[in-house]
Amino acid sequence: MKLSGNRLAQTIANAYTVVFRGTPELLVLLIVYFGAAVTLTAIAQSFDASIKFIDVPPFWAGAFAIALIVGAYMTETFRGAFLGVDPGLVEAARALGLSKFQTFVYVRIPQMWRLALPNFGNHMLSLMKDTALISVIGVEEIVFVAEMATTVTLKPFTMYIVVALIYLCITSVITLAVMALEKYANKHLAASR
Amino acid sequence: MTFDVGLVFGSIPKMLVGLGLTLELLFLSSFIGLALALVTLLMRISGRWFLVTPAVVYIYIFRGTPILVQIFVIYYGLPQFEFIREGMLWPLLREPFWCCILALSLNAGAYVSEILRGGVLGVDKGLLEAASALGISKTHRFIYITSPIAIRLSLPAYSNDIISMTKATALASTVTLLDMTGVARTLVAQTFAPYEIFISVALIYIAMAWMIQKGFGMAEKRMSRHLKPTAG
Repeated sequence: MKLSGNRLAQTIANAYTVVFRGTPELLVLLIVYFGAAVTLTAIAQSFDASIKFIDVPPFWAGAFAIALIVGAYMTETFRGAFLGVDPGLVEAARALGLSKFQTFVYVRIPQMWRLALPNFGNHMLSLMKDTALISVIGVEEIVFVAEMATTVTLKPFTMYIVVALIYLCITSVITLAVMALEKYANKHLAASR
Repeated sequence: MTFDVGLVFGSIPKMLVGLGLTLELLFLSSFIGLALALVTLLMRISGRWFLVTPAVVYIYIFRGTPILVQIFVIYYGLPQFEFIREGMLWPLLREPFWCCILALSLNAGAYVSEILRGGVLGVDKGLLEAASALGISKTHRFIYITSPIAIRLSLPAYSNDIISMTKATALASTVTLLDMTGVARTLVAQTFAPYEIFISVALIYIAMAWMIQKGFGMAEKRMSRHLKPTAG
């Protein structure tokens, strides 16, 4: 949206990034979870007044909130990467008779992808860490399970350290995967050297 | 469903109390974090393995785990050990406030030291060679040549980190602290008006992020004023 010439679309996209970069992830999550519950209840009540309250499945509220946050960061990354593509290449593609859509798919996206990868990897890592927040609204993920286990075993330190180690493993795997992808994306550069 | 503006204005005084705590968390932990980051940076670039290894491990651990988990390990986890409950730091570690400060500073230390390292590595080698050719000692080179340039190079990334620190302070509400998010959560529990209260809190956070961005933007401009082409 940020790339389109339409001014309204640009303004909306800008507002979206500003809002989500400035608000704490925890707050977004709470707004989505509790807000959705209130809204859905109001909508349901307008159809059927006997409904008292609708509970939103916390998993979907959490997934939606995190998707919103990541979307905001990713637009910035991809925008930067699109701007990084050499305009000469795009012009050349157009001169060769490729349609606008073809240029986008065959020229701009492959180029942009290579530039966006390092940042994309970073966002995957922070996304991974944001998932820990979902335990606050009661989804049974690692942190939540650790909390449960703590009440049984009375060994909070052991439990949370294990959680930390699991996260450390996952983030290491993501880091390695992104490194491998980067190597793959840049293999034509390595060969020419 | 209506948007009750009166409720927003009514809860502003309570939120301002929370804002105080949020700012306190932010300033204290970014200050301690910066100090930690400097120590870690010096260890990291010292080139001696017994200094480099602990720094690398520290950065790896704190960048690889969620802040929430770090706060939980420190606040809920540490009291598991007898020696901490008997130790002299217990009066501090018993308080959720100091636990949060500890977790946030350690986290900031890890991130900021990486940012600063990026700045130090970005300093032109030619400048350092020129300095050593002029007979300036290693310590003086670091203080008078590397540091000013590295600080200027790492400012944009540092401002981003301060903004994420602001957002991380919201996590303090999970360990019963009444910061701005904590106050908002209690208010929502009382009034059940999530949109009004959470959105007004979000607006305060956005305003803070905006101010931080502008502030650092000005600092950046001032530090790179020699780079601007002088007119006339």
